[in-house]
Amino acid sequence: MLKKKGIEPGAGKASYDGRDSFMKAALEAVTAQFTLEAASFYEYDEKSGLLRLRLRHASGVSFEHEENLRPAPGSAAARALETLEAASSKGLGGSFLYSPFRFDYCDPSGGRGVVPCFGLVRLERSPRKRGFTKAEGARADAYLRSYLRDYYKAEFFSLNRKYEKNVSAITELTEVFATALRVRDSFKHILSGIQTYFGFDRVRLYLIDEKNRKLKGELSADIRGQIKSIAYEEIPLEAGAHRFADIVLGRSSGAFMERYKDCVLYMPLAVQGVTIGLLIVDNLLSQQRIEPQELAMLKSFGGQIALAVDNSRLFDKVEELSLYDELTKLPLRRYFNQRFQEEFYRAERFKQPLAMIWADIDFFKEVNDTYGHQIGDKVLKEAGRVILSNLRKIDFPCRYGGDEIIILLPQATGLEAQRLAQRLSSELAELRIPVPFSSAKELRVTMSIGVSTFPQDASTMDALLEKADDALYWVKSHGRGKIALYSDVAEEKKKAEAAGGTTNATAK
Amino acid sequence: MLIWLLSDYDHRKHLAFKSLLGRFSAAYPDVHAEFAVKSRKSLWESLFAHLRDPKRNPLADVIEIPQNWTELFSRLGLLSDLASSLEALAQRRYPDFIFKELLRHDEARAYSAPWWLEAPALYYRPQALKGAVTDPEKELASWDGFRAALDRIRPPSRKGNFRALSVPGSSGSVSVADVLPRVWGRRGGLFSDDFNRATFNREETVGGVEDWLELAVSGKIELFNGDHFETGPQPAEDCAFMISSRKLPGAGRAGLKMLPYPGYPSGGGLMLVYNLAISSATQDHGSAAAFVAWAMEPRNAASFAESFGVFPCLKPVFEERLKEERETGVYRRLFSAPELMPNIMVYPTAELLLERVLWNLSLKIARRDYEREDLTREMIMAQGEADYLLSLY
Repeated sequence: MLKKKGIEPGAGKASYDGRDSFMKAALEAVTAQFTLEAASFYEYDEKSGLLRLRLRHASGVSFEHEENLRPAPGSAAARALETLEAASSKGLGGSFLYSPFRFDYCDPSGGRGVVPCFGLVRLERSPRKRGFTKAEGARADAYLRSYLRDYYKAEFFSLNRKYEKNVSAITELTEVFATALRVRDSFKHILSGIQTYFGFDRVRLYLIDEKNRKLKGELSADIRGQIKSIAYEEIPLEAGAHRFADIVLGRSSGAFMERYKDCVLYMPLAVQGVTIGLLIVDNLLSQQRIEPQELAMLKSFGGQIALAVDNSRLFDKVEELSLYDELTKLPLRRYFNQRFQEEFYRAERFKQPLAMIWADIDFFKEVNDTYGHQIGDKVLKEAGRVILSNLRKIDFPCRYGGDEIIILLPQATGLEAQRLAQRLSSELAELRIPVPFSSAKELRVTMSIGVSTFPQDASTMDALLEKADDALYWVKSHGRGKIALYSDVAEEKKKAEAAGGTTNATAK
Repeated sequence: MLIWLLSDYDHRKHLAFKSLLGRFSAAYPDVHAEFAVKSRKSLWESLFAHLRDPKRNPLADVIEIPQNWTELFSRLGLLSDLASSLEALAQRRYPDFIFKELLRHDEARAYSAPWWLEAPALYYRPQALKGAVTDPEKELASWDGFRAALDRIRPPSRKGNFRALSVPGSSGSVSVADVLPRVWGRRGGLFSDDFNRATFNREETVGGVEDWLELAVSGKIELFNGDHFETGPQPAEDCAFMISSRKLPGAGRAGLKMLPYPGYPSGGGLMLVYNLAISSATQDHGSAAAFVAWAMEPRNAASFAESFGVFPCLKPVFEERLKEERETGVYRRLFSAPELMPNIMVYPTAELLLERVLWNLSLKIARRDYEREDLTREMIMAQGEADYLLSLY
């Protein structure tokens, strides 16, 4: 019948452009169809008894506005909400028709609950115009109801889109957490993954430092995806010290936390019943509620996140153990080989110098044999400390084997390397290693050092190593405890050869 | 090009913008421009929705924002710097008090351009004050004087719908916009002067909020009132006092007079400034910049502001408008010591915290189970939340 009179609404397209487009289309259409001054869409909150304006259309403009009101008892609006039938009124301000709607739909995310949708559309005419007749009121109500059937679809459609997003989040986040083990900066990947799919104002990761009984800040990712370190945050892991500590320790969080529950989630990370850290996601800046299904989903990821965090921590630890020498804290030969290649390529490509120091602790075998391996270890440990405290950030030292130490010095010339070698040599010579059981009570050591440089002395990696070794060998065969540049050694060799002598001598 | 305009209780603003955009389209026929009117809440949600998922939630090209949202959304990377591209900003054609707050953090960059401003003031109908107030200028200068006058007002016998005080634009609950002028009047605020801590719980701040809540508790203003919903807008003559930040249409004919907001010791007042910003995600920066520059032209800025009773921010037009005002004297007093809401990153969120406090309390007042401790408790909680925010941002 409606179709015959040419008033079948065409809401089909708008219903799939989202709820706002739908409401706008509905209000525009009903205003034009029934020659109205304005039409407004209100949602009704049964708990508070308030009508909340969602959208209004007047004088050719649709606009949102914040308006919350309680219909007076017995008024036309109250009657419409109560009976779910259209009601009209007329006053000094004009004529009004209230067309109510109410429907519930199933939660498409699979929940058992229903999502209620209750409210009314208010149609207005100015006092100068005629009021709404009963027949006209019925027609307008029927018109709006047919529109609202599409509103149902719009709501369902928007919830379904959310559901689809969640499914893709589950699939992709699982992959992120699984691969987190294999990447160097896995914490970043975990936080980025959470931000990409949930988009919180902030995500923060804290880990427990069992040794020092502290909760230590690791990383924070903001709403723009920017990640920064929060290593400066350290919280004593004691009850009452901080609310984060209380949460990790499983204590009550109090009324203040109750207030946060809508926009903050504190998620202790536990592996096999042991809490290893705390993940905090929040919408504190925007003060927007975190959707319950998002909270539920993130909570369900909790175990995986904890496992990924724990795995990457273990992975880092294993990597550290396999790349660094525990005694001297210097990188091991395996790690050095990788870095040497990188640094050499860089020096070649950018035509920058690269110096290499090859050092050897003099009479180290004798130290071990005479005073025992414990004292030998002390010597190595001190040598490592001296070296690490004298290098630039870009320099790369390595315990090459036994008492042999190599240091790569990117962008350094032979002379610069010689100066560093001199400093290391002097500092080491000043050391007094206590040896309580010997008559001297202490031990002093020296180093022999050879230096080679790219491109001056060598044009390949192997040659650079070989020349540094040659220079070291020359020092060892000329009294030890000195520093030699390969260029000088080569010069000396030439001279000696010219004089018909020999440069070889027994070193070790 | 899409423009997001902030909604207003006064529909004239939307219509004025429609007309402004019509004239812009005539001047720039190659630019296709349309606009959507968003509530403050929905605009806030849309901006954050974009940050969370930019593909699904695109931003408009031009956005109207309250001035004190500038720092937050520029820090979040949503706004373009207009300092050098917009002539009005480059030439500093704005009153100093507006500029100072806009450029609080960085003198060289401006991420929004001041567009219009409003100042809350008190309107009264001398006829309705007969027998209640003898010297309005003097008696209504203080909040206590104003409050006492409200108690003494008696409705005329023939007026069924008469109210002693009307607050046009009320959203139904007590809102931040309602209480802040009073909080400022008591020299309170949401943060300490150095912005190192929240001061929600300071006596002056709580007192300011309480002054306004008391109007609701005592029934001087009715919360969630459905009257105008049922009967249409209430005529201005049906009240003795009106607190409004707009020049009221037909105020002279209705016999309404104007005074500064009561209880402002400095004689000045709180100003609310609204700016235009260009989204950093815009694909059509040229058109967006052309529109903002065009809207800031003196003639356009003046006619837009005039059409819904506010002041343009552009200095020459602002001063000209001030001269022409019927209530020039009152406005000069208001603008003698203007105060703006701080343009700092956490301020908009702090306003939301206070808004939530006021919503909770409004519901309690409407249910008639409000007690003074409710206010204390809510403000303590909000202060804690604001302090926590300060520690994070």
